[in-house]
Formats: sequence, C-alpha cells, structure tokens
Amino acid sequence: MKKTKLLKVPSRGLITISMVSLVLGFILAYSYSISSDDTNKNANVSGFQEQEKYREKLVEQKERNKELNEEIIVKQQKVRDFEQSFVESEESVEDLVEEAELLRLLIGDIPSQGKGITVSLEDGAYDPSQENPNDYIVHESHVFKVINELKISGAEAISINGQRLHANSYIRCTGPVIVVDGKTFPAPFTIEAVGDPKVLLASVNLGGGVVDQLTSDNIVVTVGEKDLITMPALRDDDYS
Amino acid sequence: MWLPLLGLILGISLGLLTEIQIPEIYESYLSIAVLAALDTLFGGIRAHLQHVYDDKVFVSGFFFNIGLAAALAFLGVHLGIDLYLAAIFAFGVRLFQNIAVIRRILLTKWSERKNQ
Repeated sequence: MKKTKLLKVPSRGLITISMVSLVLGFILAYSYSISSDDTNKNANVSGFQEQEKYREKLVEQKERNKELNEEIIVKQQKVRDFEQSFVESEESVEDLVEEAELLRLLIGDIPSQGKGITVSLEDGAYDPSQENPNDYIVHESHVFKVINELKISGAEAISINGQRLHANSYIRCTGPVIVVDGKTFPAPFTIEAVGDPKVLLASVNLGGGVVDQLTSDNIVVTVGEKDLITMPALRDDDYS
Repeated sequence: MWLPLLGLILGISLGLLTEIQIPEIYESYLSIAVLAALDTLFGGIRAHLQHVYDDKVFVSGFFFNIGLAAALAFLGVHLGIDLYLAAIFAFGVRLFQNIAVIRRILLTKWSERKNQ
C-alpha cells in the first residue's frame, strides 16, 4: 500500500508537509550559517593572539637589530683605528681622515663628546597685552635659527632635548610642540652643541645675531658653556 | 514518506548554500521564525498523536505563525520596543508545553503497551 502510494502521485497532505519541512530546513540551516558567520567575526580573539605573536617577533627583531648595531659600532671603531694608523704613516691622508670624521659626526654615526654650549629657548611669560600667544611662544623657526647658526659656526654635533640631529633630521611644528625625527618635544627646548665654546658663544651672541633676534620675539634665551657634552651615536631606531 | 525528508534535506542544503547577508537588526526576525517553525512543528506532532491533526490547520499555522512573528519583530524594531521578546516568550512556552504533552502521550502509550 505504501509503495503504491509512493510510486503514484503523492497525496496533497504529503506535499504540504514536504513544503513545510523544506521551509523549516531552510530557516534552520540559514540561521545556523548566519550564527556561524557571527562566530567567525568573533574570531578576532585569535587575531589578538596573532598580534601578540607578531609583537614578540618585533621585539626579537629589535633586539637583534640592537646587537647588530653594537657590532657596527665596534667595526667602525676598528675602521677608524686603521685610519688613525694611516695618518701616522702618511701625512697626506690626514686631511681626508679628518673630513671623514667630520662627516661621520654629521650623520651621527659615531658618538660625540667634548666641550660645547647649551642654548635653551623658553616661552616668554604670559603677557596680557599680547593678544596672540603666537607672539611669545617658541616656534620651530626659532629652533632652526639657532641650529643653523651653530652649524655654521662649526658645531660637531647638535641635539635638541637630548635627541641628536643627523644629516637627514627634520623638525616639524605641531601646535605647541615640535617634532624632531618623529619624537615630540615640548618647550622649553634645550639645544646642545659640541664644538669650540668660544666660537659658538661668540657667534650666537653676535650683535643682531640669533640671541638678539629671539629676544625680540619675546623668547627667553639662556646661553651657557658646558665643559663636557656627551652624545651617543645614533642607532637605526633613532632615525624615523 | 520520503518526500518530507527529501524536502528537509533540500531545505537544509539550500539554507547552508545561501550566501545572502542580512543586516544585524533583522537577525532577531530569523530567530523568531525558527522558534515559530519549531513550535508549529511540535504542535503538529502533538495534534497527530492526539488524533486531531488537520493538514490545513498545520500548514496555515506554520506559515501564519512565522509571518506573525516576523511582523511583530518588524513592528518592535520600528517602535523601539523589543516586541520580539513577546513572540519568543509565547513560542517558548508553547514549545515546552507541546513537548511535555508529546512526552506524556508517548509515556502513556509505552506503559499501555507494556501492560498488554
């Protein structure tokens, strides 16, 4: 009886029940697939773990970089020693070596140490008569002026708030702070320069020179001599 | 007898293969539709066991309940009231009741058969 029913045209009730089960199956499966999609979205948790993994890798790489950098410093010291020995043997090379030394100082490859001066720039005191605070705060252009003056007067190495400048350094103004090679510094800015203090002091204090110009811009400039300024060699991390 | 099963399998595969994405706010509709469908299904089984099963009642109840639940949820979304909770509550209660009745019927049937 059942078989004949199956082979024949199915009854209406069977068809309706089939339709119902089709719809039911569709709804169930669809909602299942949607909720499993949601769990896929929640898989961000595993993404977090991945992030952690990459961070560890980064730290590892940075440590390796540090090691390699130290190696570079040692190797460069060796090269310099060789050059020094050349100087002793051949007088003519001496000038070239000196130039190389200067260039190295310029790009911040080797540490710099010696006498020098410090110039600190501070925002002027709040002045109610000045409507525009721009008129009495330190701008990056002021820092530029000082740095240019120091470079012209033969400073071996210059740093701003401890951040040593190299040949490709950049200084950017971002509101009340300035950015030096990607690091942000607020006022007051202390600019240190290694070099002959006499020359450097004379050049910044020149009549109508940098100090005068800055003072007329309502900036508190303090210039001082320092017996020993030490600036470490720049590592790759410091370039940004 | 095989036709409903075939329909179920076809429906499940269709549902699994569909790649349509629906917005998150409409997902409550779907959950309600699932509940309504399950409720009607168990209601049908109960009716069948109680020998009061009627094709028309079952089928109309199935689709009407799904539609009503979706409409309620729609209204709720647009009114800012979680009206779908009402549907979930109602269907949930009925689902439990239906299953309880089915269980009792089956239990009595089983014990009767044992006594015979």
